[in-house]
Amino acid sequence: MKKLILISILVLVFVPLSSAIAAEQLIFLSTQFNPVSEMQFITEEVLSGFTNETGIKVEFVPVQYADFVNRILAEVKTGKVVTNVIAELHGGFDYLLSENAIEDLSTMPELPERTFLKTFDEYSEIRGVKAYIPWTQATFVVAINKEALEYLPEGLTQDDVLEGNPNWDYEALLRWGENLKEAKGAPMIGLAMAPGGLFHRFLHGYIYPSYTGSQAKDFASQDAMDMWEYLIRLNEYIHPASTTWSNMSEPLLKGEVLIGWDHAARLIQALTTKPDDFVVAPAPLGPKGRGYILVIAGLGMPKDAPNKEDGWKLIEYLTRPSTQALILQGTGFFPIVEEAEKEITEGALKTLSDGVTKQANAPLGIPCLIPSLGAFGGEFGNIYRMAFERIVLKGEDPNKVLPELNERLEEIFEEVDVPLQ
Amino acid sequence: MSLYNKSREDAHPSRDGHLLKRNTNHKAKTLKNYTPYLLCLPAILYLAIFIGYPLIQAFVLAFTKPSVGFTLDNLKSVLTSQGFKEALGNTLLISVIVIPLQIVLALFLSLFVNTRFKGHMFLIYVITIPLALSEITAGLMSYSIFSSMGFLNKLLINLNLIDKPIYFFGYTYKLREFIVIILSELWRATPLVFVILLAGLQSIDKEYIEAAEVDGATWWEKLTKIIIPLLQPSLLSALLLRTTFAFQVFGNIWILVGRDIPVLAGEAYYWQTEIRNANIASAYAIIIAILTIIFAFLYIKTLESSYLES
Repeated sequence: MKKLILISILVLVFVPLSSAIAAEQLIFLSTQFNPVSEMQFITEEVLSGFTNETGIKVEFVPVQYADFVNRILAEVKTGKVVTNVIAELHGGFDYLLSENAIEDLSTMPELPERTFLKTFDEYSEIRGVKAYIPWTQATFVVAINKEALEYLPEGLTQDDVLEGNPNWDYEALLRWGENLKEAKGAPMIGLAMAPGGLFHRFLHGYIYPSYTGSQAKDFASQDAMDMWEYLIRLNEYIHPASTTWSNMSEPLLKGEVLIGWDHAARLIQALTTKPDDFVVAPAPLGPKGRGYILVIAGLGMPKDAPNKEDGWKLIEYLTRPSTQALILQGTGFFPIVEEAEKEITEGALKTLSDGVTKQANAPLGIPCLIPSLGAFGGEFGNIYRMAFERIVLKGEDPNKVLPELNERLEEIFEEVDVPLQ
Repeated sequence: MSLYNKSREDAHPSRDGHLLKRNTNHKAKTLKNYTPYLLCLPAILYLAIFIGYPLIQAFVLAFTKPSVGFTLDNLKSVLTSQGFKEALGNTLLISVIVIPLQIVLALFLSLFVNTRFKGHMFLIYVITIPLALSEITAGLMSYSIFSSMGFLNKLLINLNLIDKPIYFFGYTYKLREFIVIILSELWRATPLVFVILLAGLQSIDKEYIEAAEVDGATWWEKLTKIIIPLLQPSLLSALLLRTTFAFQVFGNIWILVGRDIPVLAGEAYYWQTEIRNANIASAYAIIIAILTIIFAFLYIKTLESSYLES
């Protein structure tokens, strides 16, 4: 009897274990699609299709930026690489390449039936190495309730705003905000300033380059002082509850604001819920150009990754036009293969897609990539937030605040050995 | 063999038997000595793994830096920062306002419910509903009441009392945000105090009150001279619990006002999740723990001394 029980236990424990070992499984480490809903979508809707097609299971492991770099470097340096495929932003690949921790993908087989957008394809080749395969792109745009278009300031037309014409600039936005406040009795421009919101991206990737030509290089320059003076004026027309919003979809849907700037993926809820109510416009122009952030996520492999053949199959599947269109529907991250654009029909996604494309094509664009600062990424964003809090909300003198914060900003770039951008 | 000896031998048939029994007794006694420890072992193990280990890790993180090793820099930079001063001030201010209000409110509610009027059980359920809600849910519910498009503004607009919404949230309306936090905290956490005080009230012997009534004591005299003194252990337990929780207050405030009104636990969370500096976040956590321990110690000392005096 005892023997029988022992055998049963052994069978119960080892049979599933051995079958799990026997079944092929890939580890897919990603800094993208961290929120639970996105994670669930990628696992249940995207990766399940790959498993059904190939029989290869995929363990999707979303991690934070700092943990990602630490883990890959630890795996590569100890020679115990278990991760098969990685998804990370351009800057992360750049950093891993400098540490010689990623595979050169130029020797892998060709990926048929897809044409990568040229800009992204060029970006993915870093210092002569094919560091990653472009996967998705994202950016931040302005969502506008159509009602707001009735209050455009003199000299600014709907076309100017939607096409990103030169007279759609930050001063025009301020005058528009003024009109809206007068008509509605309340500030109608919203920004996601609460913790968890991406307001710091607006500061370092949009308005800073628009006024100074760079994200961090001229942090405390005279141009920056002019920019802060503008922000103090604009703040009168920014909804006061912005400091408590981490996402602009809800305030836009509730009608608390009529103009909201946010990440495309965070605006998608508003656009899909009320597709007829909103239009999407490129960011306004500043004295130095139209600063905007280009988020490029790519797929790659750690140096000496195991089972490269199956890893490549996964990359091939994830970059297919149909998979990219599916990812757009579920997450608001845009495809970067030409063929996928045909799959975006009318509706909210089309509105968003048009806005994103127009921002990229609008004249005088200054595309900015988020600097890859590893563990200091959070502190970098916090410096911009602190500057806003101290100068605009608390009314401190920018001549005192900016040089003080600039010191730490420069230190961060020095510590990670990344040139000031 | 004397009778005495015989009886002793009867009682202890042999010397070996005697030793055996002594051994068994000794073993039983030893086991009995260990029993409390063995009974506590699962709880101790649980605490050691899930509380002790993270606590040690937090200490290590708070007193180290990745490239430096042991350092007091993290604590120094927290203690000298403006953010910490604001967070500490707000945490204390919220505690100083909310805790006494909660105690008074819960005391009168429990006195009212304890009169056992018809339907008092229903009222108990209504009052204790927030106990079943998480901080986040409570925060979201408060937000939907007070936001510019919330229930309160809609009600006031529909009643023609206002024509534009009143803003309760935003950096420029810090005082209003503070009032919303106080109201929300009162609603969310008073039931805990209420339950403790109601239990305390129900354990008070009614004979004392009846005797006072016979002697012609007024309602106020009965409250201040009989009920409150007898309720003191429950009051102090409620105070102890609420004060320790007050230092951890976070979710409700985070949902309602973000970092407009920073509090200690919120700052720890912010440094951990947004800035991703686990060292500074741990320094905050250690400071919260130390403050909580100090307050708990003071309460326990007060509780002990008042117990001894009584």
